[in-house]
Amino acid sequence: MKKFQFTPRQMLSVVILSLGIIIAAVPKDTTTPYKLSADQILEEMKSGTQYLYPDLIAQMLVEGDPTLQLIDVRPPAEYEKYHLPGAINIPFDELLSSDYQYLLNQDVMMNVLYANGTTRANEAWMLIRQLGYDNNYVLTGGLNYWVETILNPQAPATSSPDDEFARYDFRKAASGALGGGAVAPVEQGSTAPAAIPRPRPQQKKQAVQGGCS
Amino acid sequence: MAPFVVYDIISENTNLLMAFFIGIGFGFILEQAGFSSSRKLAGVFYGYDAVVLKVFFTAAIVGMLGLLFFSLFGWVDMSVIYVNETYLYSAIVGGVIMGAGFIMGGYCPGTSFCAATIGKIDAIVFIGGMFLGVFIFGEGYPLWKNLYMAEFMGFPKISEFFGINEGIFVLLVIVAAVLMFWGAEWAEKKFPREEY
Repeated sequence: MKKFQFTPRQMLSVVILSLGIIIAAVPKDTTTPYKLSADQILEEMKSGTQYLYPDLIAQMLVEGDPTLQLIDVRPPAEYEKYHLPGAINIPFDELLSSDYQYLLNQDVMMNVLYANGTTRANEAWMLIRQLGYDNNYVLTGGLNYWVETILNPQAPATSSPDDEFARYDFRKAASGALGGGAVAPVEQGSTAPAAIPRPRPQQKKQAVQGGCS
Repeated sequence: MAPFVVYDIISENTNLLMAFFIGIGFGFILEQAGFSSSRKLAGVFYGYDAVVLKVFFTAAIVGMLGLLFFSLFGWVDMSVIYVNETYLYSAIVGGVIMGAGFIMGGYCPGTSFCAATIGKIDAIVFIGGMFLGVFIFGEGYPLWKNLYMAEFMGFPKISEFFGINEGIFVLLVIVAAVLMFWGAEWAEKKFPREEY
């Protein structure tokens, strides 16, 4: 009996066909690995560049910055009860649902995630950062710190440096525009938020006016 | 992880120098493989020589399998690999013009330069025609701008467009290519030419 032997052509056809069958059998997800390794995430977390302070967010809100997209990662019930102006709700449980990926994975908006504190939002940030999504940030201190600093600012001590007073002025003004009176009544009274004229956006480098202007 | 950002690793001039040497190597191999003969290229369409078809499909298959396997091993990040933009109508019209030129002239742009360097007169004429075409296209651009830009589809991959798994699409291409290889070899026997 004649020994069967592949010609080079047959050999090549068999090899590329088998490789094709192997790659066709690979599930899709394994061919798209996570874009950032644990090391890279750790580096980013150490640098802490994802944290944004409430003052910056308040300023963007007051200025009506169109690139700002606030994302509430708390459960829908809490979102209904209170949320920041213009915020959308992406509950933490559904963070990886395909319905929301177009919001989280994009190059246009600056997404700011927030929860009641920092932790939940930061966990969400870690997850989507690991998927390689850019332009996502975390609101430092979450809503609790927001209420404390922006909606209900405490006047600094009279001996404080000037920029403390500038920050306080800005927070007081922003508080009025962002509905602070409703949460914790301050001296402006209980005017409806919409009726309050928007304060002129205050630049960070603007000359300090002191505490009694 | 690949793809590497070239300018992070080497300077722009080094990059051009490497491109120069790679280009010389590419041209040398094209010439050695006989691609500088317009008869060999035209042979694809007449069925007496399918080397060009086999070479290009082999390159495509090796490239596809390589990318998908590298991606599977985590060596390459497929999501940042550049995919050509698709303007559907200009792709079709351009493909027809290119194919017609291919049959009539017996060269594609790369092989025509390859053949011109070894002194083939038909290749030099072909290059002249190519520049003439570039000139006409550039000067008449307003006339066909609408067609050129029509039906922009973004940066789709065929597998994404039809909503099938990339690996399965690759398998389909491989099956088609293998069938084509065998069909081409059958055609070579069926329409032989003694000398070309």
